[in-house]
Amino acid sequence: MEEIGKNEILAILENIEDGLIVFDKKGKVSLVNSAAENFFEVKREDILGRGINDFLKFQKLKYIFYLLGEEIKEVYRKEMDLGDNLILEVTVTLINSQGNNLGKVVILHDVTREKTADKMKTEFVSVAAHQLRTPLSAIKWIFEKLSEDRSLKLNEKQQKLIREGIDSADRVISIVNDLLDIVRIEEGREVYKLASSDFEKVLNSVIETYQEVMKKRNIKFEYYAPSRKLPKIKMDPQKISLVVQNLLDNAIRYTPPGGIVRVEVEADREKLKFSISDTGIGIPEKEKIHVFKKFFRSSNAIKFQTEGNGIGLYIAKNIIKAHGGEIWFESEENKGTTFYFTLPIKK
Amino acid sequence: MNKKILIVEDEEILRSLLSDKLREEGFEVIEAIDGETGLEKIKKEKPDLVLLDLVLPGIDGYEVLRRAKEDSETAKVPIMVLSNLGQQEEIKKALDLGARSYLIKSNFSLEEISQKINEIINS
Repeated sequence: MEEIGKNEILAILENIEDGLIVFDKKGKVSLVNSAAENFFEVKREDILGRGINDFLKFQKLKYIFYLLGEEIKEVYRKEMDLGDNLILEVTVTLINSQGNNLGKVVILHDVTREKTADKMKTEFVSVAAHQLRTPLSAIKWIFEKLSEDRSLKLNEKQQKLIREGIDSADRVISIVNDLLDIVRIEEGREVYKLASSDFEKVLNSVIETYQEVMKKRNIKFEYYAPSRKLPKIKMDPQKISLVVQNLLDNAIRYTPPGGIVRVEVEADREKLKFSISDTGIGIPEKEKIHVFKKFFRSSNAIKFQTEGNGIGLYIAKNIIKAHGGEIWFESEENKGTTFYFTLPIKK
Repeated sequence: MNKKILIVEDEEILRSLLSDKLREEGFEVIEAIDGETGLEKIKKEKPDLVLLDLVLPGIDGYEVLRRAKEDSETAKVPIMVLSNLGQQEEIKKALDLGARSYLIKSNFSLEEISQKINEIINS
């Protein structure tokens, strides 16, 4: 095979549809392709040999500086909105050759179409869900009216049917509410209200609301508090509370009576780590890869508990990710499951 | 005298279910099917409470709220939003404009709505 010459490589880089900006090891721009020129409406002559600080002088290039900073941070698929209906996904990687650092390459991928389609889908679900609520309210209220109308002299069986009608309407309403929650979280609209908060306080208030249920289901609850006082965590308390609630709810729901649910919180200087273990039904090995997917419910979960919609963990993952944390689990079928998440501690 | 409730709601079936329920509870009920008529009736009838939908033909519920609160004659009439919108920013907007309370329609039974009305009127 013939080796590709330098000119050919340059031609390839020039012609690919992704934008490329290369910084040499001194942090000076050493290559710009035409896609990058188009994205940022600049000519390569104007930036070749310049440092990233100089990007601030350009109308659009300055967003690269805002995203990557002076040190040209390595990022992976970070979204950058340039306005004018142009959204790029930015990835920065080190260029290594035989152990030598040759600089960094900024790869710019146009995702405008995908993002627009996503947004339309989100808006569609939101509108559809709102419109579903109107007839659902009507169904619910009509049943309610029937059940209270004494002149109808309904027998027990008819009364029962009406109650089931109300329950079914309520079930659909709660699915619609969940759908709207998903849409909101996908939009990321609400996860950015970060405030310095007391994690244990949030945790305790969730645990409090589940005490009664755990007693009723004869589940023993254990809490291992952190060995020293936790620092305040930058988080959206409402959303983190929802994560804890979803995890605790699952642990209780999928643990047979007589079982144990254990919560543990620990922290080092960088992060807080939360874990919740149960002695429940576990997750089948083959299904583990699907656990965080939207609407997924494991085959044994469906048999064990008919109710559930398969979005709790999906929402939890989105929220934790939006906080810069991680979420994962370990599980063995018929033995139990432990879910973990971390939240960064920022100084 | 019976307390007077104005229902501003464009969906006929919802309006009539609400009216029936509130009449049974002993309220005097008047209705409006759009924002324009709603505003007129707030001014003319001075109800003890307004149940206000947000998505309405013509001027929407937010605008009704804004204008009712701007007008010194009607500013004191308590307005309870009863809508199928329910995102936080929508709720916040309505409360900022002066709504006394905000209920998502499908999440409440007629009985619960009637209780909330009583709570506000008697407070």
